Amino acid sequence: MRDIFQFPLFAIALTVLFYFLARRIRNKWDIFFFNPVLLSIAGIIFFLNSFDIEFDTYNKGGKILTFFLGPAVVALGAFFYEKYEQLRQDLKVIFIAVVIGGLCGVFSITLFLVLLKMPDFLVRSLASKSVTTPIAIEITKVVDGIPDITAGIVIAVGIFGNTCGPFFLRHMGIKNKKAVGAALGTAAHGIGTARAIEEGQLPGTYSGIAMCLNGLITAFLTPYILYLFL
Amino acid sequence: MKKVKGKLILYIKDLLLFKRLKAFFYVLIFLLVGETVQYLTDIPIAGNIIGMVLLFLALQQKLIQLEDIKPASDKLLEFLVLFFIPYGVGLMVYFDLVEAFWLPMSGAVIVSTLLTLYVTALIVEKFGK
Repeated sequence: MRDIFQFPLFAIALTVLFYFLARRIRNKWDIFFFNPVLLSIAGIIFFLNSFDIEFDTYNKGGKILTFFLGPAVVALGAFFYEKYEQLRQDLKVIFIAVVIGGLCGVFSITLFLVLLKMPDFLVRSLASKSVTTPIAIEITKVVDGIPDITAGIVIAVGIFGNTCGPFFLRHMGIKNKKAVGAALGTAAHGIGTARAIEEGQLPGTYSGIAMCLNGLITAFLTPYILYLFL
Repeated sequence: MKKVKGKLILYIKDLLLFKRLKAFFYVLIFLLVGETVQYLTDIPIAGNIIGMVLLFLALQQKLIQLEDIKPASDKLLEFLVLFFIPYGVGLMVYFDLVEAFWLPMSGAVIVSTLLTLYVTALIVEKFGK
């Protein structure tokens, strides 16, 4: 019986199953922490623990799934291009805002963690916390962090931005919807963008392009910023 | 059951459409070029991110049409989440390692996220139309 856990196909089927279940749950009860990614991850971890299956066993199939992150990140280029076409006229302001905001994010998290005397591996794994998970994972690999920690934190940051972002910004006196959209995309990637889309089509588009831009900026600059601190 | 099977076959047929496979092939070429550039220059940026930038530039310069890429890129992005779930599951291995730093780490992440939100929003609010 336990032999079937050894098959790569088992892990793939398990992941797909939990993912679709999580999407179902999300569609039924629209509550913020019912994020499909979070639910699937928690569900799979619970399943593996209950049946006493090692992560390495699961990862035989998991690796096949994560292989597709390669082409999927390339495909983001097409998504980026579509957003870019929609927003040409306003691109300059967004670009400046995202560059400064994004840099602020990487600098501040690195600085705080170094000041708090957190170990190196955490600083390396968390520097890219604001960008979309697939890009964050690649950045962490390049700077020798632990991608699994990155994935967990990035998703948590997204959910935090999604739930608290608009509320926080309103309290800080931000009225412009485009500004809220751009901020959500920069700080909280795809999960934040999901919230921006709920705020309206325009903030949604702004958020999408901010997410792409910040992914790029963070990918290009994080290795050098870490070099300054570590 | 038969209905489900029929649906599944239709879905797989749609997934393996020729234009989709062709588009996927283009995506793989960009990936390969990105990886090669990374390998040759040894810059600290992942090959697939270089591939993404090259794809964007190729689309912008009209070297390739969006319609040629979209059949594959839409599907890849639809399942994007599925592809990184195993990394999230991998967190289970590092629970004990991270546990000790839980509180300061969360504090740093929250303050940094709020700062990023505010700075970005403020610039768009001040200088945007």
